[in-house]
Amino acid sequence: MEAVEYFEVECPEKTGGDYYRRIADVVLLDHNLIRVIKKLHIFIDPTVPLFIAVGVTKKIPRVIRITDFADVLVKEQKVTISIGDETYLAPLLKILWERYGKENVEQPDRFTIVLTMENADMRAIEELPVYDPSESIYKDLIYALQVIQPEGFKVRRQYYGKEKFYLVASEDTLPENIEEMVKEKFSLMGEHL
Amino acid sequence: MNLVPVTYKGGIYRHDEIIDLIEDLGGYIIQKHLIAQEVVLQALVPKEDIPLIASIAKPLMGEIIPSPLVGTEIAVVSMSLEIHHLPHASCDVAEYIRRFGAKSNMVGLARGFGKRIAQLNDEERDVINEHDLAVYLLGDFEACIKQKFPVLRRGIEIPIVVCGGPSRETLEKIIDPPVDGYVGNVGRFMHRTKESEELAKLDEVVDEITRVLDRKRDEIAKDPPSVSPARLMDVINEHVNEIHDVLSPTPITVQMTGLRVKLPYDTFALVLKDIPLEGGVTIGEVTDIVPSRMRDYILVRIRPFSETNIMV
Repeated sequence: MEAVEYFEVECPEKTGGDYYRRIADVVLLDHNLIRVIKKLHIFIDPTVPLFIAVGVTKKIPRVIRITDFADVLVKEQKVTISIGDETYLAPLLKILWERYGKENVEQPDRFTIVLTMENADMRAIEELPVYDPSESIYKDLIYALQVIQPEGFKVRRQYYGKEKFYLVASEDTLPENIEEMVKEKFSLMGEHL
Repeated sequence: MNLVPVTYKGGIYRHDEIIDLIEDLGGYIIQKHLIAQEVVLQALVPKEDIPLIASIAKPLMGEIIPSPLVGTEIAVVSMSLEIHHLPHASCDVAEYIRRFGAKSNMVGLARGFGKRIAQLNDEERDVINEHDLAVYLLGDFEACIKQKFPVLRRGIEIPIVVCGGPSRETLEKIIDPPVDGYVGNVGRFMHRTKESEELAKLDEVVDEITRVLDRKRDEIAKDPPSVSPARLMDVINEHVNEIHDVLSPTPITVQMTGLRVKLPYDTFALVLKDIPLEGGVTIGEVTDIVPSRMRDYILVRIRPFSETNIMV
């Protein structure tokens, strides 16, 4: 966890806290999330029981557009897109099919897509957003936190956005002052929600 | 004759000679694995004949190792089959004790997780009770174990070994009434056990299981079963042809005082009952044949000598 600026596990039981520190470390590493997280504070109190994880992410990579991974060439009524990186091919095809209709999207080979259309605007196509990493990163983060939390904590509240996220979970109804508790944990890291 | 549990490892070449030898000496083959060019036999052999088997196995590059858990069936009780406990912790323990000859079954509880909400239902209880020993893999927190363990052990009559995150001393302190074995510092973890100190922990689990089972063996020796389970297995193998069509790795699982026969109860219970053992004694006279709660298997419980007054 060297890459993370701040990482603390707070727990009234010392041994239990140490185990959870290791668990959090392994799970985040396995899910490839270490590089995304800037700060993370986990609070577990098995006597209540209550699990709170609050954190701050690093700058999330911007939206991927066609120009990031392909070249666009407009020639008369044909637009040829030659793909450099196949990673985003599937979401791209889906978007093109939806926008221009399947009959107008041809794929003669793996790395080429040919669109048939009248007066195409090259710039508009190049700037087409294909994939937004922040969406899936936050989903992955919340999923990973659910894996870290003790099992059986079925009452949950979660939030993400603006580079901050939190997950609170318990077996019983969450305490009424839970929002204040979350804010307090954020302030421990020198942040505010 | 004192039979001891061993594992034989060797090449496939002429391994049938070893099998014949063990059978001629009065031992029993409990399980045979063929893995590519290698053979692993789990067997019960007469103690005084081990040097003889070793000397015959030597030119075949085979070795014979004592494995204390051969002939036992152990339940590894995991609090759930969710990603929180699998594959590590649960599977690592179940797999490791298998290496010492035990037949381990993983019992994933439907609602074993949580602190207040943990439960054990009647089916789970009965399935666990069909084993020789149960290994409970609990979590990392003292407070949780203290509250949930009394619920999870309700109705369990077999010896229990508890593994949990807190230290052994803490476990001994918080579990009341005491159980048969404790292993500390084996709680919930999410990584594979491959470092030497983690493997040492697993060895500790095996040692604890062996210790508890040895005590159970001593207890059984005071009033031994009317027939040895391994011998009963041999007799069933000989008389019931259908057992050879069963595809499970152990069509008949040997336990310390019984057998699990993996054939449907309705069709085969009466067949088993009438199989002659020796001198006019049938299996039905020295055992209780009951349906198992595991699938539709048959559970054969051998009655002790004090009940039957028969020893075959």
